[in-house]
Amino acid sequence: MRRVAIVGASGFVGSVLVERLLARGDTELVPLIHSSGNAWRLARLGIPLKAVDLLSAREVDSALAGCSHVVNCSRGDDDVMIKGLGNLLAASRKRRIERFVHLSSVLVYGDPPDPGATREAAPTRPQKGSYGWIKSRQDQMVMQAGRAGMPSVILCPPNITGPCSIYLLDLLNALRAGQFVLLEQGSAPCNVVDVTNLAYGIELALGQATAAATRFFITDDEPTTWQDVVQGLSPLIDNAPPVPAVSREELCRITARAPRPDISIRRSVRHLVSSDVRQALRKDPLWAAIDGSFRRGAAMLGRRLEERLRQWIEGPVRVAVADARPAVNARLCAQQLRGVRHSCELAKNELGYRPIRSTAASFEAFRTWYRVSHGLDSPFWDLLRHLYQAGR
Amino acid sequence: MTERFRLALVGAGMIAGHSHLPAALASPNVQVVAIVDPARERARSLAQAYGVRAVIAADVREVLDEIDGAIIATPNYTHRSIAVACLEAGVATLIEKPLAGSYADGEAIVLAGAKSGRPVAVGYCTRFRDNTLLLKELLDSGHFGTVRRFAHQFGTRGGWAPVSGYNLERQASGGGVLVVSGTHFLDRMLYLWGYPDDMNLEDDRQGGPEANCVAAFRYGRGADSFEGCARYSKTVQLPGGLVIETDRGIVSLADYDRAEISFRPRSTPNVEHVVRSLGAPPYRADMPVFQRQLSDFVDACRTGRPPRVDGRQGLQSLRLIEDLRARRSAMHTDWYRAVAGGR
Repeated sequence: MRRVAIVGASGFVGSVLVERLLARGDTELVPLIHSSGNAWRLARLGIPLKAVDLLSAREVDSALAGCSHVVNCSRGDDDVMIKGLGNLLAASRKRRIERFVHLSSVLVYGDPPDPGATREAAPTRPQKGSYGWIKSRQDQMVMQAGRAGMPSVILCPPNITGPCSIYLLDLLNALRAGQFVLLEQGSAPCNVVDVTNLAYGIELALGQATAAATRFFITDDEPTTWQDVVQGLSPLIDNAPPVPAVSREELCRITARAPRPDISIRRSVRHLVSSDVRQALRKDPLWAAIDGSFRRGAAMLGRRLEERLRQWIEGPVRVAVADARPAVNARLCAQQLRGVRHSCELAKNELGYRPIRSTAASFEAFRTWYRVSHGLDSPFWDLLRHLYQAGR
Repeated sequence: MTERFRLALVGAGMIAGHSHLPAALASPNVQVVAIVDPARERARSLAQAYGVRAVIAADVREVLDEIDGAIIATPNYTHRSIAVACLEAGVATLIEKPLAGSYADGEAIVLAGAKSGRPVAVGYCTRFRDNTLLLKELLDSGHFGTVRRFAHQFGTRGGWAPVSGYNLERQASGGGVLVVSGTHFLDRMLYLWGYPDDMNLEDDRQGGPEANCVAAFRYGRGADSFEGCARYSKTVQLPGGLVIETDRGIVSLADYDRAEISFRPRSTPNVEHVVRSLGAPPYRADMPVFQRQLSDFVDACRTGRPPRVDGRQGLQSLRLIEDLRARRSAMHTDWYRAVAGGR
């Protein structure tokens, strides 16, 4: 029987994969978790879970003892993503792992991606420092391991749906708060994959014996639009404000990131002597004394000069523009600008992948889960809803 | 001047470092003389982190002669052996909730406390909230009218990860989210209304500790009876709080230390009253609940009065948990099954 280590087993995808492989019964599982705090979904199954620090090469190597396959669903800070993956790949090579399945993301193709990113062969061009950039660096490490002889597969899912989907929860919250706008009546393509479909794709990749560090898109393979997604969530929203429609230009404007200011000695000096910084420094008696001397010195200049000095340091008083509309969730809204529908043809041809859940079924399962887990159908919902109103 | 209360902190894990040790160090009448943990290095590290000069021991038995009381903040299944050892040596115990991993273990602790004559306090810290005390007073006085129904919920996506990871082992923790999160409200529910007449439980465990559960309760019979529910999750973020329907309106209390009680009268449902006590508060307003709890424990040890949450009350909570489990049914978790054909 194959022995599969699932790294990041307590996450959304990892948990579903563990549940599916357990139900199949043809696999010995080694679920590896980062911390017990997030592993409740798996713990309820009564299976042994092993906490592993991916930054410890020794712990990672020990955790893979006896394993024939590895699935990497882990996430973490940049150090964990890069050094942790390095440890995982090194241990996998040492343990002569038969197949390494790495979970990547469509974001490796950039945001927005190259128009040719309907296929996996398109160039990757993530913005430096972005999540897609880190995932792209990970992909390169896995590809390098593949070229060195370790059979590997890289799966690139888009937004993941289904029960417990964080993506759908975020979108639902944004819709409720009036923080979402639709580009061109929602006609833009929305790439989604049901979590069960993705887990099924991973299962196929585990059994695939020929691909070497190939990247595959795994999607629901349906022409879903953002309007479809919004409509899929609308039964969960009471008295929702209508979702405003915006043009491409307007969406670009409202989701544009503020440019980071350039380094400036003058700005830094102003910041250092600003009232915010001096207030924090005054908590220490030495700095309080220095600041007191500074202020007495400034007072000796006379009121007019003191005021001019203050204005030079603090700048003019700024009043923020108060827009009556709530600020949009730029991260979610900007996804509509991606404009590309990723095709899972390669996964269908080479892995034998076929989605086992439709997008409609995925959304219905999400709604069922949401209603039950939040008590919407409970006879006490009329009381519980007061807690949601209080939180707004 | 009264001598300082000599305290041992047994267990140097998360709750000890996060809550109990800061509470002890903030208490002028308490001296932390020992930190005990089988992993001495962990105990030493905790002492160093707070600059505490204390005896470091692997077993509480090494320091029993040097202490007046012990806070037991270890995995639930270890509470019995540690507490009984303390009590038999005449050392009072403040035991982190729940009292024990099982009713039988809890009973043994309460019995040991009765024999020794030393206090057994249970760490249900939310009982020391001003809002809990005020709610009890107002419900008892009939200020809000007659209770008809109530609902409580608390949910987080993961969270609190004990150093030992014992929370994921059913035997070690004594249960899942019902014990870890729910037991605080169950204790308050017993405090507010006593033991329920009927109850049932749905949870999602399949061999391990449950991650989600919903409990239902009924109090009394006939016209004066009322029902309630309690929902807990370690996978879903739920705004925590208690809502009570009375014949006069809706009472709400969010589940955090300084939350204020609000009341929406039935007669004017678009108006919400914030209810505050103008009386003298039993504790200083800015004193954290863990410090209040410790202060109560030390005072109980010195005056001979029972602590605010004593062993017998802790035992009632364990009885309630076991009664709920005896009426347990499986929660629906196959979310796709309801979807036609699975597709």
